[in-house]
Amino acid sequence: MTNGNRIGRRTVLRGAAAAALAAALPLPRRAWAAGEPITLGVLTPLTGAGGNDGPRMAAAIKAVTAEVNAAGGVLGRDVRLIVEDGQTNPDAAVRAAHKLIDVDKVPVIMGTWASAVTTAVAPVCWESKVFLTTVSGADSITLLPHQGYLIRTQPNNKLQASSHAVFIAGIGMKRVYVMSIQAPFAVPTQTRLATVLREHGSQEVGALIYDGSKTTYRSEVDEAMRAKPDLVYLNGYAPDVSVILKNLYEAGYAGAKFTQSYVMTPKVLASLPHEVTQGTYVVQPSPAVDSKAYALTAERLHLEHPDTYVCQATDWISLVTLAMQKAGATTGTAVRDHVRDISNDVSATHVHSAVEGLALLKQGKAIKYDGASGPCVFDPRGDIVSCQFRYDRIEDGAYRFIKIM
Amino acid sequence: MLDYAVTVLTFAGLYGLMALGLNIAWGMAGMVNLGLVGFFAVGAYTSAILTVKVGAPLIAGALAALAVGAASGVVVALITGRLRDDYLAIVTLGLAEVIRIAASNEIWLTNGTDGISGLPGPWRGQVSPQTFNLIYLALTLAVIAVVLSLLQNVSRSPYGRVLRAIRDDPQVAAVAGKRVMRFKVEAFAVSAGILGLAGALYGHYTSYVAPDVFVPLLTLNVVLALVLGGLGSNYGALLGALVIVAFQESARFIGIAGLSAVQVAAVREFAIAVGLIAVLRYRPQGLVPERPPRLAAAPAAGRETRLDVAASGPGR
Repeated sequence: MTNGNRIGRRTVLRGAAAAALAAALPLPRRAWAAGEPITLGVLTPLTGAGGNDGPRMAAAIKAVTAEVNAAGGVLGRDVRLIVEDGQTNPDAAVRAAHKLIDVDKVPVIMGTWASAVTTAVAPVCWESKVFLTTVSGADSITLLPHQGYLIRTQPNNKLQASSHAVFIAGIGMKRVYVMSIQAPFAVPTQTRLATVLREHGSQEVGALIYDGSKTTYRSEVDEAMRAKPDLVYLNGYAPDVSVILKNLYEAGYAGAKFTQSYVMTPKVLASLPHEVTQGTYVVQPSPAVDSKAYALTAERLHLEHPDTYVCQATDWISLVTLAMQKAGATTGTAVRDHVRDISNDVSATHVHSAVEGLALLKQGKAIKYDGASGPCVFDPRGDIVSCQFRYDRIEDGAYRFIKIM
Repeated sequence: MLDYAVTVLTFAGLYGLMALGLNIAWGMAGMVNLGLVGFFAVGAYTSAILTVKVGAPLIAGALAALAVGAASGVVVALITGRLRDDYLAIVTLGLAEVIRIAASNEIWLTNGTDGISGLPGPWRGQVSPQTFNLIYLALTLAVIAVVLSLLQNVSRSPYGRVLRAIRDDPQVAAVAGKRVMRFKVEAFAVSAGILGLAGALYGHYTSYVAPDVFVPLLTLNVVLALVLGGLGSNYGALLGALVIVAFQESARFIGIAGLSAVQVAAVREFAIAVGLIAVLRYRPQGLVPERPPRLAAAPAAGRETRLDVAASGPGR
């Protein structure tokens, strides 16, 4: 949409192309990785609103796959990927999923990004007994009747809001006002924040939902100011939150602000005056930056700081290949039935990459995959049970790290 | 592969049904309706709410979608009755966005941006997904057959002649004693009703409706299908939809040497845009040009008018 966005995307394209090329380069293959290859589906958005993240996620999956194949594959078979474009559009993504399932006969689809796309694609998957992995955060997704054919590595709204509330109460904010854009996460986040804030001795003094396409939010800001908050929680996207921050400054609000890192990106931060962003807390789901899996991901992709999406994609392909090896079968049902065998047993030997885990599984050992995005322990509904968050504060136009919790 | 082909054909059929709905308003009566996705959404939501929240049977949901779609068409036609061409196009385009934003915000009714999932389908879950797809394709084709025969009859009848007269020059039609406004409202209502029915069929097929489904891109795809097939021609509308969906899907199988999946995706979008421009430039009458029932009038004059109308397509 904006010119800046396009430049970012071009860089991404280049990176993805380089990674694809790297994956295609002849790697030394062991002789026993013979037999029919196992075909897996990748359905990340390559165009549309998710076009910024999708290609990087696909590249991360390819990189792990190349490593797995070089080490002898899964069950003695190579892994082959078919990448389809979900277009960040439910209509197109459903057809792409049908193509992957009906033509390529994939047992697993990795990569849906937008919540609406995941909700549309999920029934196609579970009806065909195909396993789906996603980064969509809306709480409603794991509540679908998916019979176990779905996991997500993204913290759901409840998990996010809980952590945020504990942090906010922990820094001594007593009166919190929540402004949310109209989106699936709006109400669940407000409800959860109110509960956890109360448990920790703070309170949600008010909340509203706004329309994301307005050019000014003066009336919303006035309403928030009336509640005399000492922290305003801004749960929206970059365009609207930028305007609200300016409106808050114009209205003379001197308290703290709180928002997500996908809102307060370095580009947004640079475009706003220091006085406007001063004292804004910025949160993001933190990849497990101290983990060995994270270091391996960085090394594999030649990135200094792989972001959470790249890490989650790395974890999907690792979990799927390990579950197949563990099950001794390559169907979606086998992955569904065995993914928790290699992810939830914390007493087993911890492994940090697919290759490391495959080697141990071939020796008949029990393993626990520790992910790059987090511990990768899943509850029965397919949600991760814990996740770390990183908190920064904006001071004089720069991020100042506070903590990871 | 066969199962996938069935899926693609079903989607093509649903697009075709929308193109048929668009054709009676735009192709025959000359009312540009760039808000078609709005009526499509009205139908999809009507049926989704009735079947999921109220528990009505599927057939009742579909019939209600038809009725509510048509009723909303009457309302819109009455409001926009005096607008023509570009003005009507802009108003209807805006209307579809209003409907989408209303669906995002009226959470009590539409479940907001979460959408409504778990829409029932005929024998869904009781038969294999493959059989379900076949049943749905048969259902879609049956609906298309009924709508097509109805519209062909309208097209051949004196009624269709009046619509074309209004399209070509409403003043002349009025002078000839035709109640222009009433014909327009009726044509628009039929159009919106068909779109509403298509929306219900779409929702029950994918089992999910949400504001994100009803984006302007869907309108553009259907407009493109109709322009490609031949504005004013019912068979053209169906053929155009089939070509569009087949093209989009076949793009998945064409690996271009040296290009990554990301680049192929970009090339696909580009090719669709170039295709639309090329059609409007080199074959504005479409693949199946409209053939009005032969009259005594000189055919050359009629053809000229056709070109004129086609050229006033979405590109203008």
